Order: sequence, then structure tokens, then C-alpha cells
Amino acid sequence: TEAIDPTAYKYQFQDDPYLAPRTSAEFKLFSLSQESGRSAAKYFINSNPKFFTKDFAEPHIPCLMPEKVSLLLEEVSEEALKERISLRKVKAAVDMYDQLLQAGTGVSMETTHDLLDLICLYSDREPVQEGGPETEDVVRQEGWRIRRASDFLKTIWRENNNAERIFNLLPERDTHCYSALIRGMIRHGAYVKAFDMYTDMLNNRMTADVRIFNALISGAPEVREKYNERWDLIAELLNQMNQQKVQPNLLTFNSVLKALRRCGSLARTQALHTLSEMKALGIAPSLASFDHTLAAFYKAASPTQGQTDLLQEVMSELAGSSFTCQDPDDVLFFSNVMRICLDNKDIELAYRVQSLVEAGENWRLLGDSHQQTIYYGRFFSLLCMMEHIDVVLKWYRKLIPSLYYPNVQGMRDLLQALDTDSRLDLLPTIWKDIQLLGHANKSELIEELLALMARETHSPEVQESFAVCALDVKSVFNGDRGTLSLEWSTSALCHITSLLLRAKRTQEAWEMLQLFKAKNRVPSEELMNEFLLECHAAGAPDRAVELVQLSAAFCLPATPRLAQQTLKDFDLTDEQR
Amino acid sequence: MAASFNSTRSLVLLRAIAQSGTLCSSSGSRALHVTAVCCKNRAARIRVGKGDRPITYEQALHPHHIGHRKGWLSQHTSNLQGEGGAAERTVEDVFIRRFVFGTFHSCLANEIVIKRRGNVLTVCALMLQKLPPHKFYFLIGYSESLLSHLYKCPVKLEIQTLQDKVVYKYL
Repeated sequence: TEAIDPTAYKYQFQDDPYLAPRTSAEFKLFSLSQESGRSAAKYFINSNPKFFTKDFAEPHIPCLMPEKVSLLLEEVSEEALKERISLRKVKAAVDMYDQLLQAGTGVSMETTHDLLDLICLYSDREPVQEGGPETEDVVRQEGWRIRRASDFLKTIWRENNNAERIFNLLPERDTHCYSALIRGMIRHGAYVKAFDMYTDMLNNRMTADVRIFNALISGAPEVREKYNERWDLIAELLNQMNQQKVQPNLLTFNSVLKALRRCGSLARTQALHTLSEMKALGIAPSLASFDHTLAAFYKAASPTQGQTDLLQEVMSELAGSSFTCQDPDDVLFFSNVMRICLDNKDIELAYRVQSLVEAGENWRLLGDSHQQTIYYGRFFSLLCMMEHIDVVLKWYRKLIPSLYYPNVQGMRDLLQALDTDSRLDLLPTIWKDIQLLGHANKSELIEELLALMARETHSPEVQESFAVCALDVKSVFNGDRGTLSLEWSTSALCHITSLLLRAKRTQEAWEMLQLFKAKNRVPSEELMNEFLLECHAAGAPDRAVELVQLSAAFCLPATPRLAQQTLKDFDLTDEQR
Repeated sequence: MAASFNSTRSLVLLRAIAQSGTLCSSSGSRALHVTAVCCKNRAARIRVGKGDRPITYEQALHPHHIGHRKGWLSQHTSNLQGEGGAAERTVEDVFIRRFVFGTFHSCLANEIVIKRRGNVLTVCALMLQKLPPHKFYFLIGYSESLLSHLYKCPVKLEIQTLQDKVVYKYL
């Protein structure tokens, strides 16, 4: 079979009902626990390599051999330095380098390059897997940028750290050294220093390479405040690139476009210019370039502004083509495009985006599970808003649960759609799905569900199924399943009682009334009326008297009227009040 | 279970023991009493007992039923004409059985089935639902990775869970 099986869970999980993830939390938990099992095995293998070195695989499989994690060479030599660099031990490498310098032996240029790259990549700290994440010296990004939490924990570039010290000690510095330092500074937030270093380099009459320019362009918005100043800086950098005869590549243009996002109103014209330059140079734009351009045109807060044709053009250009990931920001493309479709309420475009996702290998570009949830969430809410219920249900069965676990908002959109098309008889099945997805403890969802069920009277079999559902909800409230029991609210109690009444389950309805008293909640007036009608139909006068007594206990304003009606409709004995 | 070995009982007459028995003590002789050998098969059989011991289908059927009423627990091609490596496969199988038995402590419901297809080693196991699912996944990831590194081939675990062991009869 070519297509994905929509009823199956992701293939990384075992195909067993006990071991299958039903909610997105379980999905994350299971995949993380599987990964942690693998890393536990890796730790064991790497710490006892002598059991795993017997190699009888023909041809040799390098990924199944134990890796070297501990240092072998202890003496002061260049090989030892190279070993430490390849094992990513920052501090040990720096110490070894200092020892080598003190001993007087020179270190070759390549090794120095590698050492500088290592230090600048990790900003003179150990890589994260040695211990927990560094919590000191954490810099927060500006508040308006909507990023995930991991982006906030960026380390800062300390003053006079080892990279700069080693750099200053070098007798001769070439482009690679400068590039390592500049890129490290930009990566870890020391933008001004990076630009100073760049001017330093120009003063020494050296040409920069493509990666330095990419880093500087992406750091440009940080060193200037006004929009046109930022753009001027970027333009100047591009001119210098031209003068130094450095060929721009895809990442250059992508960093230009990304910086343009922060240039305000200049962004639109310049973005289009950039795209045409890319085409002129023959560099195919990647998804990230389109993402940045569209972001410049479609701001999140203003949905009705600007040309809406740009997205149509982009989609027609991209239709049917298959992409590979060339830029780390490619994965944000699909979720942002779906956000634009959602804001503009454009369902045709959303279908085109979905067909692009299904084409070829493009599903890989949807990103990790968080991005996928965002994408499918937006797609599903757009569908619920715009489409007929049958189409919605078709997509519902297709997407859930193999690709997407809806959250509370998604379920509420689905309930809205059911309501709009008056297919409320499907509510019990949706309730079962809600329980499966683990949303059965969300009170607002349950309230909405009950309100929808209790609003009008339906045909008898539908009422019967609603009553079954209502009893189910009641057991959830009581915490029968061992899950967190919810607080009873008045509306929930009223709805459940009226549902039970309509399905002629009088005994359970009476039990509900007792619950009212137990939980100190006051029943509504319509409820009492309904009960009275019911008693009248069933011909049970003592029940009616009990009802009046109850309503008196609750001090309802309707009590006298109820009493009157009871007197009128029933032949009572002398126990009337 | 996987690691229990029914030792074949064959009585060996050791003259040395008989002789040393007479040397032990001066008063009274301690000799070895020997009966005739009972030529019976004892391999992989659970003998009839009181009637309260639950037995699975796998344990109830004796080895001569393999191929008739039982399937094979270990499937590989090295027992065919002209193929080699049967002994190595058997040793690997024994190790894998002990490994899985120990890793999934008291969770196994039945014997493990090991299938070799191409390069891939598939271990199919029936487990009891004694652990929560995330612990199962931890152990699955761990054993898959460890066995792959040990045997230099991709190892896949296919687990099915049950509430409790399926009893075939009581012996």
C-alpha cells in the first residue's frame, strides 16, 4: 500500500492496544521513553566497548560499533589535541593547547582552526550533554518574537574568553580564524563585537568568505535600531561582498530575507527584489525564503491588509514539486502558510497546501511533532469553519489519530461544526472520541457538549443515546474511572437531568435531584417545570408533592406557582402544603 | 519458562563412588543403591501432577509434536541443505532468550519466537500488562539498541500484550 493507513498509529510504536498512544501527551511520553532506552543502551555500550568490538558484519557497519568517549592519549602532543577536539571536550582541548604552546611546539594551522571552531561553537562551555543545561548567563530574547522556549536559552559571549585569548596569541590570523570568531560571536549574541572584528579584518586587508557575510547579515538587525538603517547596513554588506568577489549562496539570501522581517515596511519591496536576484543568480529559493517573504507580507495582527495574491502565486509556483531541507527554517513554512490561510479563511488554498504536503517527500518538512500539531490544528479548525460536515468528518477520520491528536480547541471547533450542520446525533460518538483522547476531564468541553445535547428535543432513539451519554458523563464527574473527578456545576447537573427526563429515565432523574441537594446546587426553573409535567404524565402525585417540597427547600421563586399547579392538576390527599 | 532446563535423567553407574563409599567409615558400609536405568524421554515435558498447575499450549505439547501441532520457536535458514552457521544461530538464540527473559522481568507470558529474515532479527514476544506502557517502551528501546550493537544487525522487537497467561490445561 502506498498511502498511510489512517487508522493506525505511528509506526515507531508497537502495534498493540495497550501500548498504543491515545493522546498527544502519551505520544510524547512513549517516544521519549523509547529514546531514553536507546541512549541508556548507548551509554552501556560506550562504557564497556570490549564486549561489542567483535566485528563479524560483512560489510562493516560503523554505526553499530561502540564509539570512543574517553580519552586515550594523555601526553602533550598535537594528536592528543585533535582527539580532544573530535570528542568535543572544550576545556580539555584548551588546556592541551596551552600546554603545547608552553612546551614550545607549534600547532598546525588546521588544528588551530578546528580548535577555534570548537570553542566558538560552544562559546567556551562544554556541550550540553555533559550535564544539565547551563542556567547562569541566560539571555532572553525580545518579548514580541514568538519563539519556543528552547530558543530563549542562548548562552552569551563572555568577555575575554578563551577564544579571544587564543586568537590574540596567534602570530598570523587568516580568514578561517576570523570567520570562526565572528560566527561564534553572532551565534552567542555579541553582535557589536562581531562587527568590530569584521572591520578589523578589513583593516588587515583580508577578504571575508560567504559564511562570515551570512552571519553578519543575520546579526545586522541587532546593531541598528531604525528600519532604514538596518536595511542600509545590509545593503552595504552586500556591496562589500560584491567588491570582494564573494559569491552569495542560498543561506545568504535566506538571512537577508530573515533580517528583512525585522525591517518593517521596507520589507515588502526589498523582499521581492531579493527573490528576483536569487532567480537571476540561478539559486533556487528554498521553503525558508518563501516563508520569510510571506511573513513580510502577511503580518499576524492585520489580516485584511496587503495583497492576498502573493500566497496564490507562491502556491502555484510550488505546486507538485518535492523539496529537501536546505535551511533550518524550512520546517516553519507549512505552519505559517496554514496560519495565513486560517486568517484569510481561504479553504481552497488550504487544500492546495495539503496536497503539497502529501506530494513526494514533503511530509518530512512538516517539522517535529510540535510543528505538526500546529499545522494540522490550524488546518482542522479551518475545515470545521468552512466546510460541510461530511467533508469535515471525512478529514476527521483521515487525520485522527494517525497524524494529529486534537486539543480542546479542536474538539470545540468540531462541536461547533456539528451544531452548524445540525448533526447532533453524532454527539455520542464524538464523546467516545473525547474520552479516548484524554480530554474527558476538561470541564468547559463537557459543559459545551452537554449544552448542545440538552438544547432541543430530538427523536426518541437519539434521546436514548443522549441519555446513555449523559450517564457516562455523570460517572466521569463522580470519578468512577479513577481519573480526576470534576466539580459539579449547575448547568451540567441541569442538562444531565433534563436529558434523562426526556429519555423517560425517571428513576435516574430523581437520583440526580438528590445530587443537587448533596452538592448544594440550585436547579433551574425549567427543570422543575419539566419534572412536574413528567409527574403529571406518569400520574404520581406523591412525587409531585416531593417536588414542591424540594423546591421550597431550595427557596426557589417558582415554589408558589408550582404548588398552585400541583393543587390544580392532581387530586391530593391532605398532605399538601 | 525460557530459562528452565529439564535435565535428562540418566543414571550413570560410577564404580569410584561405590568404592569410595566403602572407604568412608569403618563401622557399617555406606553403599550406593542403584536401580536399573529407566529409558524415558524427559525433554521439554511437564509431567502430570495434582491438577492445579496451569500450563500453556506451548508447554503442554511435547517436542515430538513440533511440526504437527506446534510451530517452531526459532526460524532461520541455516538448517537447510548446504547452509552453515546453525550452531552460531543457536547460541545467539539462547542468549537472546535469556536476555529478554531477564530484561522484561516476570512480564513474559510465553516463549519468545525469533525470526530471521535477511539481515533483520525479529524477536516476537507475548507480554503481560504488568508494567505501564512507558516503561515497556524504555525496555524495548534499550534491548533493541543493545542487541543490534551486539549482533551487528538490525534487531526489532514485536510485542503483544495480554492481561494474563493463556492457560491451556491444568496438570
